[in-house]
Amino acid sequence: MNETLIRIENLTAVYGHGARQVRALDNVTLDIHQGEIFGLLGPNGAGKTTLLSCVEGILQPEAGGVRIAGVEVTRQPQATKSHLGVQLQHTALLDDLTVAELVEVYAALYEVFLTPAEISAVLARFDLEDQAQKLSRRLSGGQKQRLALALAIANDPEIVLLDEPTSALDPRARRDVWAMIRTLHQEGRTIVLTTHAMEEAEALCGRVAIIDGGEIVACDTPARLIAGLDAYPVLKTACDVALAQAEGLPGVRMARYTGEYLELETSEPQATLAALQVLATTLGHSVGDVTLRQPNLEDVFLKLTGKALVA
Amino acid sequence: MKRFALLTKAMFLMHIRNRMTLFWNLAFPILILIIYRFVFGEGQVGDTDYMTWVAPGVVVFNILTFGLLSSGTLMVEMREKGILRRLQTSPVPASSLVGSYLLVNVLIGLLQSTLIVSFAVLVFGMPLTWAGVLRAFPMVIVGIVTFVAIGQVISGVAPTAGVAVAVGQVLNFSQMFITDMIMPIQAMPTWLQEAAPYLPAYAVVQLVRPPLLKGQFSSDLGFSLLITTGYIVLATLAAARLFRWSPKA
Ligand SMILES: Nc1ncnc2c1ncn2[C@@H]1O[C@H](COP(=O)(O)OP(=O)(O)OP(=O)(O)O)[C@@H](O)[C@H]1O
Ligand SMILES: [Mg+2]
Repeated sequence: MNETLIRIENLTAVYGHGARQVRALDNVTLDIHQGEIFGLLGPNGAGKTTLLSCVEGILQPEAGGVRIAGVEVTRQPQATKSHLGVQLQHTALLDDLTVAELVEVYAALYEVFLTPAEISAVLARFDLEDQAQKLSRRLSGGQKQRLALALAIANDPEIVLLDEPTSALDPRARRDVWAMIRTLHQEGRTIVLTTHAMEEAEALCGRVAIIDGGEIVACDTPARLIAGLDAYPVLKTACDVALAQAEGLPGVRMARYTGEYLELETSEPQATLAALQVLATTLGHSVGDVTLRQPNLEDVFLKLTGKALVA
Repeated sequence: MKRFALLTKAMFLMHIRNRMTLFWNLAFPILILIIYRFVFGEGQVGDTDYMTWVAPGVVVFNILTFGLLSSGTLMVEMREKGILRRLQTSPVPASSLVGSYLLVNVLIGLLQSTLIVSFAVLVFGMPLTWAGVLRAFPMVIVGIVTFVAIGQVISGVAPTAGVAVAVGQVLNFSQMFITDMIMPIQAMPTWLQEAAPYLPAYAVVQLVRPPLLKGQFSSDLGFSLLITTGYIVLATLAAARLFRWSPKA
């Protein structure tokens, strides 16, 4: 375990020249391990697509480099590209081809030649078997997204790079895609995906790199990133008790009012809530509208960059 | 090799499934022949009636349009839509991609030319011999390669598909009348008659028309081949240098 499969070292990438030059990546160093789901989490323009482009070998870095299974991408692009399955952010398909023809030709690009039965099997995995003979231009948005995933694994790659695989999907379709990505992971593939949704990163990724302005600001498991905040769950309720009394409840670290709502930062939410109910009853009040908010990657991003992840 | 075959098949299907392209490539040239029949039908060029004389010109006009417009634009479109970028992430070398693209263009150009020639033989009674076919069609291929190569230079320079079409149209129509294609070169001013032989379309017309009409190459075969070869070499070198996977930033 923890064997490095993709090593990104001191990677700097720029677009354009002279005064119009944009530094999209600035000295990025990352190791992606064999068999993990690795997430690149960051806002628009953070450099996620640029980072993947360097791994894919379609963007020449200004400095530094990427090694895949020990092989430098810029030195032997054909070799490193053969390890990859790719879904680009702005997917365009050859839209006059049918779904089955697309799977066949995309696999063939990697010298992988599928039989009709194998093509059906790939489509079945992404719930597309009924669309096999349809022209890709006639697919719905969700179907296109799933086809993009199918095309990314048509060549049975060891590494799958997914650039915003669930953007523009409704919540249900998004969960379907998550399940498909988990299956790809269970088959032993290494997956790198980008997202600006923190719940996606939390739900799917073993490790997450938070990227902003072309720099990696943190990289760890979601749990450790959140733990590193030293933040506690916040119990929020409509209840009228004095702050001093609230602060005395078990587990409470901090109490405050925001508007009508009492907010309690607590290390033991259950014990706090139980004690609060007892206290309220003795005072003749009720405890209404209870919500519990766990600290999440959104808070990590806010703390590290001083900005909100989603504007 | 199998990869190349599958890639070629995919590009071929893309071409023939596109209704617009299909119309411009297959129906339009026939339409032109029919229109010419009504407009110039009774004329003579030398000892040949105009319709017979012009049919090989329409063959060349058609592959010229195809090379400069359809073929160049499709490449720009694939680049604009990000399809080329997706292909670039795969290990397929650019040479395979361009090779299969060229092969498909040659196949389609041959298909169109066969259609036009057949129509001219059946409807206008163009006299055609097997010797003529065997000499003319290799020259049609030379023509297609010349024009597709020039089309790829255009698509390498053009920032968008719209610009590629505009540039292609200019080169297409400017050569239409002055290269002995659909109007006899003798009808042109002397200076044009002297300059025209250096234009690619003129050279291709001289390669294709004599075998189709007389079953023989003309005496300036060598010169016309030299001109087309020159254009092919220059355009291919330029196109290779200009080839881009993604749109200009
Ligand atoms: N082709 C390009 N030419 C010039 N600048 C570019 C180009 N592509 C990206 N950039 C710039 O590089 C920076 C990083 O872009 P990148 O596409 O990697 O961001 P991203 O994290 O993928 O954003 P998003 O979430 O919007 O997809 C941005 O400032 C962007 O404007
Ligand atoms: Mg992006």
